[in-house]
Amino acid sequence: MASGHYWVKSVDSTREAASKMSALSKLADIDRRVFYWILFIALMVPFLNPIGFPITIAPNTQDLYDGITGDQVDEGEVWIINFGYGVSAWSECHPAVTVCTKALFREGAKIIFIGPHYDVELTYNKLQDTCREDFATKEYGVDYVFLGYFTGGESVVAQLASDIASVFPQDHFGTPIGDIPMMDGVEDVHDIDGVLSSDTGDYGGHFMTQWQGPYGTKLAEVGIAMNGSTDLPRWQAGNFFGVSVGSRGGAELELLIGELGEATTAMDSISVSHLLLVLAIIIGNLGTITEKLGGKE
Amino acid sequence: MSNVLKQEAVYAVTGIVTILMLVEYFFFADTQVWAETIRTWAVIIYNISLGLGAARLLISHSARVSKKGRDWQFSGLLLGLFAIMLLTGFAGYIMTGVQTNNGIYNWMFNYIYTPLGATLYPITGFYIFSAAYRAFRARNIDAALMLIAGCFVMLKNAPVGEAIWIGFATIGNWFQFTGQVPGMRTFAIVGALGLIAYGFRALLGKERGFYAGGGE
Repeated sequence: MASGHYWVKSVDSTREAASKMSALSKLADIDRRVFYWILFIALMVPFLNPIGFPITIAPNTQDLYDGITGDQVDEGEVWIINFGYGVSAWSECHPAVTVCTKALFREGAKIIFIGPHYDVELTYNKLQDTCREDFATKEYGVDYVFLGYFTGGESVVAQLASDIASVFPQDHFGTPIGDIPMMDGVEDVHDIDGVLSSDTGDYGGHFMTQWQGPYGTKLAEVGIAMNGSTDLPRWQAGNFFGVSVGSRGGAELELLIGELGEATTAMDSISVSHLLLVLAIIIGNLGTITEKLGGKE
Repeated sequence: MSNVLKQEAVYAVTGIVTILMLVEYFFFADTQVWAETIRTWAVIIYNISLGLGAARLLISHSARVSKKGRDWQFSGLLLGLFAIMLLTGFAGYIMTGVQTNNGIYNWMFNYIYTPLGATLYPITGFYIFSAAYRAFRARNIDAALMLIAGCFVMLKNAPVGEAIWIGFATIGNWFQFTGQVPGMRTFAIVGALGLIAYGFRALLGKERGFYAGGGE
């Protein structure tokens, strides 16, 4: 009797364990729509109620900021800002470009804006909006110029080093480059003091090969997060004097210049989404491990 | 004749351009006028290729519409939108003398294209979330190591990681700068050596795809 009772208990506990294992193994097979909804709802939380986690500054971002401020930039220096990103990457690249533009303007640098992306005009207009106060103190053609779109990849970047006017005989608005006061005496790589390339692709790499390598031009990169793995070795090797990686880099730069903006706001969403991503990976793997242990029926 | 144009002429042009560019880059960076002239041609050719690409796109999609091929409705939509953008762009240019400065063009860019473009990229976040759950499984020790490293780097990048435990940032940085960066350097160096090898093979005519569109 006793052994019979024991046997019944044993079956029950085995069934119970199997049931638990089965429930865990189901974690490996949750419908993807569940995840879409979880993410959608979770991302609403920081928008409705900003959290504001503290942000530490990465050394590559600090180097970028140091390289475009203080003693590193003299008044009257001519810099190029390359918009190698389109509307879809505004959230990742634009905050950092905004901070860099502000910093360079405030140091008295003159800026040439160019871009190999067909959205370049929209990005330029957006920058006019996000740096409104700084542009208001500057004069077009004297302190900054928008040369506009170019195509041709690395060949054109090489050609810009030799002869800017051969790529841009006129600015975006049709003014001949010879009639723009700021471009007087700015002919090639030797007349440019620094380049800041912002990319979803690898124009930073093209500038590195064709400008920084042969001529030693100061070069920095603002890239989407995915580009970080390519850009950081170049920063460590000294090819880029600084690198901003994704929205996080933008938020760090906003913190450094003391004007919080879009990237800082986005950091809460980044926190929520990254945390959920890690949780999703853990849940998925719990299910897989349970299956491996024999829980799957 | 066509074979000469397809192969010998391409050999000759590629060889001459390569030698000019290499000589300029390594020996006469500031004085090589020939290389500069060739690069100007390259700029022009690139711009012509944009027009050629647009023409090819129109031909391809027009053919699909006329034959009522697969998903021909989308091709029709593309042609319609292409025409609208082209006409409004030209109209703006004729009226103002500037390519893109007219109301309709700006409106379409600012209120249709920009929101769509800005939406497209974040939507991938949902797919990444779901894909991470389904695909990032520790099926063996290699995958497990990659997952652990990935989680640490993600938590390092997100401010919440440091808020939970400062160690996430330290370990994430270690994975990134001690683990990943040297790996990327290796890729970059090996890739560059591979590119040099490819260049020589192309010059020697051993890369058939480079000359005649692939195949024998």
